[in-house]
Amino acid sequence: MTDIGIPPATSDDAGTSGSKSTDMHRPATSVPFHRLLSVEARKLFDTRSGKIMTVVLIAVTLASIVTRGAVSGPQLHTLIETAGIGFSTLLPVIGILTVTGEWSHRTALTTFALEPRRVRVLAAKCLPPLLTAVAGSLLAMLIAVPVTAAAASVQDVPANWELGPLALLGWTATNVLVVAMGLSVGMLLLNAPAAIVICLATPMLWSMVARLGATGEALTEWLDLGTTTAPLMSGDMTGGDTARLAVSMIFWIAIPMTLGVVRVVRKEVH
Amino acid sequence: MIEFDHVSKFYKDVKALDDVSFAVEAGSITGFLGPNGAGKSTAMRILVGLSRPTSGSATVLGRPYTELRCPGSQVGALLDAGAQHPGRTGREILTLSAMTLGLPKSRVGEVLDLAGLTARESRRTVSGYSLGMRQRLGIAHALLGRPKVLVLDEPANGLDPQGIRWMRELLRSLADSGHAVLLSSHLLNEVERVADRIVLIGCGRILAQGTVDELGRGRDLEQTFLELTANADRSAA
Repeated sequence: MTDIGIPPATSDDAGTSGSKSTDMHRPATSVPFHRLLSVEARKLFDTRSGKIMTVVLIAVTLASIVTRGAVSGPQLHTLIETAGIGFSTLLPVIGILTVTGEWSHRTALTTFALEPRRVRVLAAKCLPPLLTAVAGSLLAMLIAVPVTAAAASVQDVPANWELGPLALLGWTATNVLVVAMGLSVGMLLLNAPAAIVICLATPMLWSMVARLGATGEALTEWLDLGTTTAPLMSGDMTGGDTARLAVSMIFWIAIPMTLGVVRVVRKEVH
Repeated sequence: MIEFDHVSKFYKDVKALDDVSFAVEAGSITGFLGPNGAGKSTAMRILVGLSRPTSGSATVLGRPYTELRCPGSQVGALLDAGAQHPGRTGREILTLSAMTLGLPKSRVGEVLDLAGLTARESRRTVSGYSLGMRQRLGIAHALLGRPKVLVLDEPANGLDPQGIRWMRELLRSLADSGHAVLLSSHLLNEVERVADRIVLIGCGRILAQGTVDELGRGRDLEQTFLELTANADRSAA
């Protein structure tokens, strides 16, 4: 062993070796947030499953818009919104896998040893999936434009290019909220299968709850994100709608995320 | 450089660690010995801030690990060679950590060479790695940030005889250049050959510590180990 690529441990703090380290002689600076962010963003795409998720997301977006164009005709807004059906299934799963992955593969052992301030790691983990939701929404808009034009010329009917900017913004926000719900539930449970079942089964459960008389209806009205985001997507929120949306967000996002962060920060890593 | 000061860790009514105190000085290798479940891994996880002691404190370079700035570039840890995402390549795993530590990509190639992993092996996913290759990857990972302190949990597990010899020479040269090394192992003969000091732990308590000669007392280290751990088991039962 001639060259081990490592300088003598005492070289960069000559004179203080053997004594306890002092602030002056600590060479390393703490890990800046942008580095954590680029590492966590990279983790989203650097495995086969990550790459497959990306391809599936793009393929489903494309397929759903083209199919809808063929069936419903050249309606730009309708075509864009169609992509939301795939998003509401795929985006929460991306969020869940992001926050549970470190525990299912036990890589938390490495990640939290390199950055013991776990809240920063969690923040860096949450941003890329949220941005993916925005990027996915923009992608749907980009795809819908040529599909609308193509549908109009193939079906020989005039295209409807009408867009409500507020509705479009509300639709994008809804996609972001769906990811946030996945992140929150995933962080709370730290168990991907359980979190995925909860996120994907709740819309079905709510449609059953809504039929359970007045109480069930009221619960759905205030707590089901699918119901409370409807006015957001149509772009005509009233004051009451805002209150209902806020309550459902506290229930599905704020509370589980707070509990989840506390859980991760306190958790013993094995 | 590493100091355990009366560290205890209780899980409900189980004492995983009971008043553990010892230190590892710069330029030395300390072998951490003990039967399965003795508390070696728990102590190492506490040292790097992944677990909190119930009482007492563990410090590295004079302060708790979690208060070090960029601890990954001051302390290199290999806690479990199996704890890697099977879908990432060895190179990718090192690249992610190099990015976190702000190291140039060239450092990844350097530690791969150092650990004896070929470029071709580094481009395969970890799911196809043997335990020995995972250990080499883990050691490459621990050395990435040129740390002064190394904490290695069972690094020789799964290594072939060449690998064990390579590890011995690597650890010796690191210690000789001033690094502090804490390594746990089951391989008594191996530890005897490489370590300067030995800390023997059983049922969460330190049973003995000292230089290899002091502990052996002219006898085989194995004999001492078996006697002391047998006594610990009896008193715990």
